[in-house]
Amino acid sequence: MRRNFLGLLGKAWLALILVFLYAPILVMAAMSFNASPFYQLPFEFSGAWYQDMMANEQIFTAAARSVLIAAATTVLATAFGTSASIALFRYDFRGKRILQVLLFPPIAIPWLITGTAMLIFFFTIGIGRGTPAVLIGHVALALPYVIVTVSARLSSFDITLEEAARSMGASSWTVLRRVTLPWIAPGIVAGGLFAFAVSFDQFVVSYFLSKPGDTTLPVLIYTSIRKGFTPEINAVSTIIIVLSMAVMFLAARYSRFGGER
Amino acid sequence: MAEALLPTERRRLVSLLSPAYLWLLVAVFLPLSAMLFFSFLTGLPQDDPDWGVTLANYGKFFQNPTYPALLWKSLKLGLWVTGFCILIGYPCALVLAKSIKGRAREALFLMVILPFWSNSLVRIFSWAIVLRGNGVLERTLNFLLPFDVRLNLMFTREAVVIGLVHSYLPYVILTSYLALQAIDDDLIDAARSMGASKLTILRRLLLPLSLPGLLAGAVLVFVPVVGSFMEPRILGGRLGTYYGTVIEDQFVAVYNWPLGAALSFILLAVVLLILALTSPVLKRART
Amino acid sequence: MSRVEVSNVTMEFGQTTALDDVSIAFEDGGFFALLGPSGSGKTTLLRTIAGFYFPKSGTIRIGDRNVESVPVEKRDIGMMFQNYALFPNMSVADNIGFGLRVRKVPAAEEKKRISEALDLVQLGALANRRPSQLSGGQRQRVALARAIVTNPKVLLLDEPLSALDKTLRVDMQIELKRIQREVGITTIFVTHDQEEALTLSDRIGILRNGRIVQAGPPREVYDRPVDEFTAGFLGEANWLSASLLEDLTLPAQVDGHRFGTRPEALRISADTPDAGQNAVRGQVRQRIFAGAMATCLIDVGGSQWKLIARDRDIPELPGDGQVWVSWSPEDTLVVRA
Repeated sequence: MRRNFLGLLGKAWLALILVFLYAPILVMAAMSFNASPFYQLPFEFSGAWYQDMMANEQIFTAAARSVLIAAATTVLATAFGTSASIALFRYDFRGKRILQVLLFPPIAIPWLITGTAMLIFFFTIGIGRGTPAVLIGHVALALPYVIVTVSARLSSFDITLEEAARSMGASSWTVLRRVTLPWIAPGIVAGGLFAFAVSFDQFVVSYFLSKPGDTTLPVLIYTSIRKGFTPEINAVSTIIIVLSMAVMFLAARYSRFGGER
Repeated sequence: MAEALLPTERRRLVSLLSPAYLWLLVAVFLPLSAMLFFSFLTGLPQDDPDWGVTLANYGKFFQNPTYPALLWKSLKLGLWVTGFCILIGYPCALVLAKSIKGRAREALFLMVILPFWSNSLVRIFSWAIVLRGNGVLERTLNFLLPFDVRLNLMFTREAVVIGLVHSYLPYVILTSYLALQAIDDDLIDAARSMGASKLTILRRLLLPLSLPGLLAGAVLVFVPVVGSFMEPRILGGRLGTYYGTVIEDQFVAVYNWPLGAALSFILLAVVLLILALTSPVLKRART
Repeated sequence: MSRVEVSNVTMEFGQTTALDDVSIAFEDGGFFALLGPSGSGKTTLLRTIAGFYFPKSGTIRIGDRNVESVPVEKRDIGMMFQNYALFPNMSVADNIGFGLRVRKVPAAEEKKRISEALDLVQLGALANRRPSQLSGGQRQRVALARAIVTNPKVLLLDEPLSALDKTLRVDMQIELKRIQREVGITTIFVTHDQEEALTLSDRIGILRNGRIVQAGPPREVYDRPVDEFTAGFLGEANWLSASLLEDLTLPAQVDGHRFGTRPEALRISADTPDAGQNAVRGQVRQRIFAGAMATCLIDVGGSQWKLIARDRDIPELPGDGQVWVSWSPEDTLVVRA
């Protein structure tokens, strides 16, 4: 009986954690449909904040900019990251370990430090603040995630398949296109989705690198929150969180992240 | 092997690698070097023609007791948040990895880590709605409990800790889960066949074997928490001054970039020290 | 050391019945092999005796205690796993000492018993190694030492030799048998390798579809299988078609039985064999030389028989391949039809 008791306790614990993780998000989503701008209860349904949001041009341009930057980041980081992963997988060369270790600073160093360092450097070399600077920063942050994800997929790739294809007379380009890339495609898709999420959710680096009044959506949300709560931010936030969870859900499905296959 | 590459292969290797690594060079490594350089300057070269080299920015950190005190405050915050994440997250990972089986496990695991990949700013903001006085939490508690509770956690240190634990908890669960899942169930069966209780198995088998994973999770929580500034700003209000917010101020409010760079580098040094101290245990994870 | 008795045990996993009313006794100090194809329930039976599973109905006695509802950790058993399940974070000595420490054995005695166990498996020099630094055979010995150091009532072995290569496996079989004799512990051994079961054990239980089909000493089970499945599982068998039975001396009545022979019980000759022998006509299809032994594939009344004999005992075959195949009547296998 002790067994069952412990098992039950564990499941209860897990349930509590899920409540802890999801409750505030659900509350926020509910409040985005609440008529009162000060989160007054009882709850009264209203779609007004979503209408306000649609009418708010600032939110609209920031959202468009965020999506654009995330899309560009996805394309660049996925292309560069995949080619680097293939090189790291296929060739043995001096300094390979160092190149692999160099992927960790962008992940492990607090974004506050990376972001301020980028700000200083981009200012010094004349790029300054603005969308190009944000894009450069986002791609750099996304690259390690893509390389790690694609490399993980590659590690299960049987190199003799490439050798077999070459023994049949395929050029190395054909081998890449017909054998290697199809195998790692799920890894590339997952890496691309990670890249999109890293960019779309990125606040810290965008905050330091974007021009005031010309920002991405998370930065706009931050400045609005600091100026005082505005209920249409609830609406935007709800949309963002649903969107980013959907993207990550897809990424997880593609990369079998944590699953046993 | 390194010498065995043919010239054509070498060219292909370079062309495959260089876009990614040149990008990282320009966007991460050169900026970090530039920041190190700036931290020794008296002023910005573009603003101040008489700029010179100095140690004064680092001197300020040690002369003004506010900075070390804030760094300590941030480190303490990091310890609190990391501690809570471990206490809450490790048992959760344990339940997921060793007590739940099959498809339910995969689905629950995904549910636990999913919020972590969603927008952290928005999640922090959602806590602001829950925690404020006369907010959802207070009302729920008053509804459930027979006595009246006054609960205004907003703009307190507790609010900051709750928000940060919420943000980073999935890290600890993720790394601990992966480490625990890699432990062969036969080991647990073997220990049981020798008469070990659940507690003995946890203490002598599961905990030592999953320690690298747990520690990796702890580092992944501690490092960003020490450098956090957005969470204390939103949830901490006036009390939310931490080392990270001071650095932020140097760049967006005070515009003392050299001081900001020096403060950042001190933080980076602390972070690297922590990584160096934990790396022997983390390396063990591979063997 | 104790007698183990399983009575009317039924185990279910969801919809599937893994053990179906199993009753079997394991004598004190005996070496008992549970043999069966995969999915036959042999591992389930072992793990139910161990206490990892609790039967839906039935009783299990270890010694004079009913244990069917006692969890593993309180059953006082020793178990060895297919992949050894050595704790990678502990040295060889700590692995062996784990069960002693759980039982709060005093430190001095713990040390003494660890070194005795290490001597028993001849690994005294490796006490401070980690499992990852050991060879497969050494790991195997550590796992065995770990399973018996606490003097459990019964030793349970779950395919313990299947991860070893052929030569090492034969060495370990001899070693396992020696240690079991020395310690005198009741041992239950699960395997799907019939040769291993026949070599090691003094009793065998054959399982199929969650039931015990036959149990007894190896020779008896081999020579007197109760059904075609058991006969085929323990070795090869040639079955006699009904049309051949007329002129043969049979140990049982024809109704309700099938008759067969083991390939090694057969002799081959060009001339008519002695009276008193069972003999049938056959056509040799193929003779396969394999060093000391040879195999002949013979067509007997339309079905293919196999004969195994020392190569030198097989005579020169006539050009047309027509031969007599003969065997002693008492070597005839009789099984339920």
